[in-house]
Amino acid sequence: MVERTRGIDLVCHGILILGGLMVCVPIYFAFVVGSHTVSEVLTIPPPWLPGTEFFANVATAWQKGNLGRLFVNSFIVAVGIAGGKIAVSLLSAFAVTYFRFHFRMVAFWAIFVSLMLPVEVRILPTYEAVANVALPLQWLADVAGIEVTLDWNMMNSYGGLILPLIASATATFLFRQFFLTVPEELCEAARIDGCSPLRFFRSILLPLSLSNIAALAIILFLYGWNQYLWPLLFTTDKSMATAVIGLKNLIPQADMEPAWNIAMNAALLVMLPPVVVVVALQRWLVRGLVDSGK
Amino acid sequence: MKTTKRTLLAGLLALGVASAVASPVFAQQRTEIQFWHALSGVLGERVDEIVKRFNASQDKYTVVATNKGNYDEVMNSTIAAYRAKKAPQIVQVSERGFMSILLSGAIVPVQDLMAEKKKQIDFGDFVKPVASYYQYKGKLMSMPFNSSTPILFYNKEQFEKAGFPNGPSEIYGEFDKQLYAIKSKGIAECGTSIANDYFWSMLENYSTVNDQPWGTRSNGYDGLDTEFVYNKSRVVGQVARLQKWINDGVALIAGQGLSPEQLFTSGKCATYFASTAAHGSIERDPKIKWGATYLPHEADLTARNSSIGGATLWVIKGHKSVEYDGVADFLAFVASPDLQLWWHKVTGYVPITNKAYQMAKAEGYYKDHPTREIAILQLNRGTPTANSQGFHFGNYIQSTFALREEMEAVFANKKTPQQGLDDAVRRGNDLLRQFEKLNAGKY
Amino acid sequence: MSTAGLKRAHYKEGWIPLLLLLPQLLVLLLFFFIPALRALSQSFVITDPFGGNFQFVWFDNFRALLASPEYRSSVGVTVWFTLAQNALTIFIALVFAFATDRVVRGRGLYRTVILLPYAIAPVIAGILWAFLFNPYVGPLAFVLKGMGIAWDPNRSGVDAFLLVTLAASWKHICYDYIFLVAALMAVPPSLLEAAAVDGAGPVLRFFKIALPMIGPTIFFLVAMNFVYGFFETFAIVDAVTHGGPGGATMILVYKVYIDGFVHINLGSSAAQSVLMMIFALALTVVQFRYVERNVNYDV
Repeated sequence: MVERTRGIDLVCHGILILGGLMVCVPIYFAFVVGSHTVSEVLTIPPPWLPGTEFFANVATAWQKGNLGRLFVNSFIVAVGIAGGKIAVSLLSAFAVTYFRFHFRMVAFWAIFVSLMLPVEVRILPTYEAVANVALPLQWLADVAGIEVTLDWNMMNSYGGLILPLIASATATFLFRQFFLTVPEELCEAARIDGCSPLRFFRSILLPLSLSNIAALAIILFLYGWNQYLWPLLFTTDKSMATAVIGLKNLIPQADMEPAWNIAMNAALLVMLPPVVVVVALQRWLVRGLVDSGK
Repeated sequence: MKTTKRTLLAGLLALGVASAVASPVFAQQRTEIQFWHALSGVLGERVDEIVKRFNASQDKYTVVATNKGNYDEVMNSTIAAYRAKKAPQIVQVSERGFMSILLSGAIVPVQDLMAEKKKQIDFGDFVKPVASYYQYKGKLMSMPFNSSTPILFYNKEQFEKAGFPNGPSEIYGEFDKQLYAIKSKGIAECGTSIANDYFWSMLENYSTVNDQPWGTRSNGYDGLDTEFVYNKSRVVGQVARLQKWINDGVALIAGQGLSPEQLFTSGKCATYFASTAAHGSIERDPKIKWGATYLPHEADLTARNSSIGGATLWVIKGHKSVEYDGVADFLAFVASPDLQLWWHKVTGYVPITNKAYQMAKAEGYYKDHPTREIAILQLNRGTPTANSQGFHFGNYIQSTFALREEMEAVFANKKTPQQGLDDAVRRGNDLLRQFEKLNAGKY
Repeated sequence: MSTAGLKRAHYKEGWIPLLLLLPQLLVLLLFFFIPALRALSQSFVITDPFGGNFQFVWFDNFRALLASPEYRSSVGVTVWFTLAQNALTIFIALVFAFATDRVVRGRGLYRTVILLPYAIAPVIAGILWAFLFNPYVGPLAFVLKGMGIAWDPNRSGVDAFLLVTLAASWKHICYDYIFLVAALMAVPPSLLEAAAVDGAGPVLRFFKIALPMIGPTIFFLVAMNFVYGFFETFAIVDAVTHGGPGGATMILVYKVYIDGFVHINLGSSAAQSVLMMIFALALTVVQFRYVERNVNYDV
């Protein structure tokens, strides 16, 4: 910004205010609808200002959607995915960048390939994999002619919701990129001092990676909380669904009472934890997104 | 020493005898039977009542009824569970799933099961159209449970105001004029509310009532090499009629979050083609004076019987014999005339046995509720022809989805009625050929 | 032994790395490789939903798909949808980023607000917009009706398509925005100053200097937007239009779900998955070729 151009600056502020409105208008209307009764929602013209029923609707939405239980599920899944993915990826990235061993490139490519196929393209077979995790062993047994029925059903379990979503290597790649930028001297010094690889990892590499880990944790928590397709497929038991799926079941479909007020209210509730996370931790989030994109 | 030992022994013996006597009471574990169904809301509550009554009437079995969603969702959950070897014992499958589940190899024919468990059921007493739909090689494959047929509900006041004191005409040409008159005179906002199952009430049943072929080989009864032909029958005219009604605002499609039934019961629309099972909810909160009558037919064609809808109860293979004992008991309970009569009265579904129907007539039920009889009279009207006995098509659930998708395009004026039906038939035939290929020689 | 991506200072213990890799490789094996291979094998059979019965049909499923007007329509819908959503998102994000770059006061607040949709699940975005434009209860639909526009996403495929595109873009603008803001900040101020001295106004400076310099970022975002539009919008379609009306919003990933899970047409669904895999692979190759070493954040 070299010169002061009042005109353009004003326009820019205008644009940004418009942007803010664009984001807030849907949320505002969700709040408006969420604070009315069903009959008020159905009046024409629709209400533009909030009503008085907000907290009553919160109670109804919470109870009808069983949100208490579902929030717990979402939380476990989100934390599980974030923690699981970070842990697994740190180890793999460390192995692939700091060790020289025979299968290094094979392992690297195996991991790399998984980057190429988003999970949505293999939904049906992944569903079967979760329905019987022991299936590969079953095949081996069948081939070997061993008479045994192996059945490990992960449907409707936290494991079933978390594990398939850890199965891609984006975080591994991220950490690998980062490790490659760590100064060589650190490892050299560690080796000279007789430091074991794991000690090096724990005392030197990990502390250096903290900001990356933090950013990734936020991103993965949001990703896990907002998961839709997998909880949809893997939970037939309504008490194991996530908050987002519970919300979907509250959306008025054809032939249901148009309880938009409850649905919108529930939407606000379900989006609350991620929004809090984003607002509170946005610095790390932004840094994590942008740094990893480089 | 000896005395203590003897006392101990005596005590143990006593305990043993006591527990042997008492144990039947404790050891009696009720066998659980899983029953998955697709009825929710009021109907779901009625199902729960049936199950409660059955469980209370005996102490050997507990039936657990679970609503797994709509018919498609119940079918899919069952398939997934069956593949994981965790299927329920009893499943409610919609009428259009008949062929798919029949040839799946996953079921036990109900007539066989009842014979094996020595249950006295008069399989000849089931109402003709119901029996003919679910029979294969002379045997009833599933237990009829909730059978319905579409009838025409109408708003008495609105028809009177428009100058039609006798209600809707039974001839389509006249009915058409009536709806336009009602709308143009401003008596109602729309002439008819389009239900979500209009493909059944207004297309398939149009085809049966007007004796039009839906598919070759007697609608699939005679072989797996059947083909859809409804794009070459009078159904084309019917779809064109619906498209015109929608374009002119005479017919309304309720969208997301609005119920077609609500459009009728709130007085917005003058008529409503719906299952007779809608009686239950329409009667609950009548803001309007309503009546019901037969489905209209074309002037130049004789009216035949309508076809059934609803579902039946199927028994899944792979369970223990003691569980099948319970299943047989439950199915016999469901088919008993008393229960049938009660079910018919509270839901509006058709009484599936002639005995139950006669009982209702004998107690004068239809004098007080004349509209309840329309469905069964319409089902029994005349002799069923090859075109009106039912639909035996494989993968029919998927073909119906294709038909609905094509009709959406027609109603959005993206395709002509002929184009839409041609595409629906093409997609349906692909599915039929796939079914035929996979099940060659099994039917 | 290749030394690509290996630190100069490294360890040589043979078994430790294998142990470290075990969790990831095990999870990948069970939930990635085996399912991917099964998708491949299932695409060559037709099977009875109950699993009792199947037949090899070699490439028939693929042939049927490519010949089917419904599949081709789905491809068309997907292409238009991703393009529309991509263009809209990049354009609006660019405008916002430019504006953010220029203002000084309130920058933090603007950024926080515009970032909010990142926290919102796609399904929630779908629900919000479905409500706003619902013909019976939606406030914005009411405004449209007032302007005389016949709006009905339940009946008109075009309306449904617009709705889904709007919801998808709204949700994703913040992602592009963050990257573009960072990229604009990375443009060397000296270049801009020099241009300013030469008399170029801010808008000209943006188009002639900043834009070309953030080109790689834009390219990266276009690729990311494609991936988003192709795969992550499943939730929006499922919550709002279910692929209708008349297949107007039946994007490919939704069709895989409908055919596989709702219609249990496993062979066709698997074949569709395979075709999508091929496309996804091609997309990643392109991405890596031209946008060196970018991490695909769409896990």
